[in-house]
Amino acid sequence: MHSENSKVQISWRTWSLIILVVLSWIVISGRLIFLQYIGHRQFASVVARQQVCKEKIPARPGDILDRNGRLLATTIVTNSLYMVPQELKNQKNVSEVCTVLSINQEYFQDRLKKNQDKLFLWVKRRLTDDELAGVRSLNLPDKAWGFRQEYRRKYPQGALAAHALGLRDIDGKGQGGIEEAFDHLISGQNGHRFLVRDAHGRVIEVRNDAREAARNGETLVVTLDSIIQLYTERELESILEKWRPKSACAIVMDAKTCEVLALASVPTFNLNHPEKISETAWKNTAIASIYEPGSTLKPFLVAAALERGLLKTEEQFDCERGEYQMGKRLLHDHHSYGMLSVTDILVKSSNIGMAKIGERLTNAGLYEAVTAFGFGQKTGIQLPGELTGIVRPLEKWNIYSTGSIPMGQEIAVTPIQLITAHVALANQGKLLNPRLIRDQIDHNYYPRSHEEPEQVRPLVSTPVISEEVADWLVRVPMVETVGRGTGRKAQLEGYTVFGKTGTAQKPDPQTGRYSSQLHVSSFICGAPAHDPRVLVLVVVNEPSVGPNHYGGTIAGPPAAEILNKTLMYLRVPFDKSGQKPLRQMTDRPRNALR
Amino acid sequence: MLFRFGSAILLAVAISLVGIGLEKESLKLKRQVSRQHYQLEVLINAHAKMKLATQQAGSPGQVLNSIERGELDVKSNRRPASTNRREMPLLQWHLNRSSKPDK
Repeated sequence: MHSENSKVQISWRTWSLIILVVLSWIVISGRLIFLQYIGHRQFASVVARQQVCKEKIPARPGDILDRNGRLLATTIVTNSLYMVPQELKNQKNVSEVCTVLSINQEYFQDRLKKNQDKLFLWVKRRLTDDELAGVRSLNLPDKAWGFRQEYRRKYPQGALAAHALGLRDIDGKGQGGIEEAFDHLISGQNGHRFLVRDAHGRVIEVRNDAREAARNGETLVVTLDSIIQLYTERELESILEKWRPKSACAIVMDAKTCEVLALASVPTFNLNHPEKISETAWKNTAIASIYEPGSTLKPFLVAAALERGLLKTEEQFDCERGEYQMGKRLLHDHHSYGMLSVTDILVKSSNIGMAKIGERLTNAGLYEAVTAFGFGQKTGIQLPGELTGIVRPLEKWNIYSTGSIPMGQEIAVTPIQLITAHVALANQGKLLNPRLIRDQIDHNYYPRSHEEPEQVRPLVSTPVISEEVADWLVRVPMVETVGRGTGRKAQLEGYTVFGKTGTAQKPDPQTGRYSSQLHVSSFICGAPAHDPRVLVLVVVNEPSVGPNHYGGTIAGPPAAEILNKTLMYLRVPFDKSGQKPLRQMTDRPRNALR
Repeated sequence: MLFRFGSAILLAVAISLVGIGLEKESLKLKRQVSRQHYQLEVLINAHAKMKLATQQAGSPGQVLNSIERGELDVKSNRRPASTNRREMPLLQWHLNRSSKPDK
């Protein structure tokens, strides 16, 4: 009996143990099956995430060259210093680094305190060679401090063509100018590769199977010429010093191709010191400022009237001794003139004469003329921030407009629009599109193909007025404006210069009326008159010193100086002897503009 | 039997040794390629730095300042020196579209 009981007891314990062991095995097997089959993908991806990391291979941004291959912007490799706050043991190193890198120690300690749990903190990015040598001499511990290589944009010409070029910010993104407009080309395309790390984060393998190489940025060749740009900027600096204006700008253009040879604006900035750029200096006034053009608009309206057969070159106009009642408005001239020919109206810049030509054209004709020459629309200069100017819709024009528009009021233009329109006059009446990009090549300076790249805009020529009208305007009234008119100070030895002055009043911000103190003085000129090669526009916004603010006095001499130096540099022969004969203008039927 | 077994072992060892040798050679070549890539990077960076330095030294601003300070013995012409088109072959190196090498 006793033996039977003990047998049953042993058997129960044994069975319990067996069941426990079997259950444990089932649980472990189940878990293993779950890990190996059901959750395999999820866990494998977690492991891959922890072990394999994707490293960016940065693309080297392309260079920017001027039309002769001078380097305007390039990229070099620099070192950036970082630290691992968790590993920082020695506070003395921090103060030494701050001294070498000229960092405010209190500010840096504050940053360090906020990020003390982090594994990465930038100390200073893109160190100079001196800073790098200084940091290396400190022999900082590898665990807590390290360098990373980054690209740094450098501009070897300093402030030259700052507004046209723009710059690249700390993250390598183009800001302003060509850098922004062509960022997608210049930046290139970053590549990547995969690194395998061990449990301590050390790289144990570089996997080349899924590697994608970086594609370096394209190099752009611009139409600017560094020498002409330098001449232009130096003249603007002297304007700034002499007349103390709010701002000033100048554009030099090739009259045959509408290529921009120089584009400058002051105040300016040094591209290598972006931290010192002021808000006023950042604005490219050559494309992003608008002003009433004043008398520089007059040749276009005379051209339109001649083209439509509403005016003859030999006609005379009574300029009413300086006072002319036009509707309710009394118009004035600077001087009292009697009978003036069309040439003299432009040479002496008579507002009354122009108002009478405006009456012949009517508002519809004036509107057609200004829009035909490209005012009120972007020129497509391929730079960011270009403004359209202001040309109000024709329905809003009234009797005042008939007098104001021919004087260059009630309309606002950008300097680039104005010089582009004047290039049309100098180029036998054909309006061209301004161009800034000459070529697009690879980072080794080899062309990518034999075909013209997409960024190089084809020359689009739109006839606006006839060759005879354009030829007469340039070679008679505009040459005489410089010879005996308001632009006398722009005469050059050896070259026949044509030009037009402009002195526009600005509205007083307090009264809203035209101010007698605030002016925009401008001058546009070109040469040689019989076969124009170069055009120069200088616009001076609110000159604040001097007895008068006439365009011929303030903007004329610097524009002529830029023109002279440019022509000499381009080896354009003197033209005062051996000019081509003037084309004969035939009687024109009354028709619309071309 | 023993001879056959020994031969099989030797063959397996020989194949393994050849495999190891090839793997080593492959790694050596990979290292060389990596080193050359690195050296190319270093040369490109050095070239960029030198190009930058030469362009800074010969920038129009620098040259014009030197002329104005009288450091360079250059006289400016009063009329165009020549009517030939101005060419700067050194600066225009590679720039001409027709200069692309034939492949």
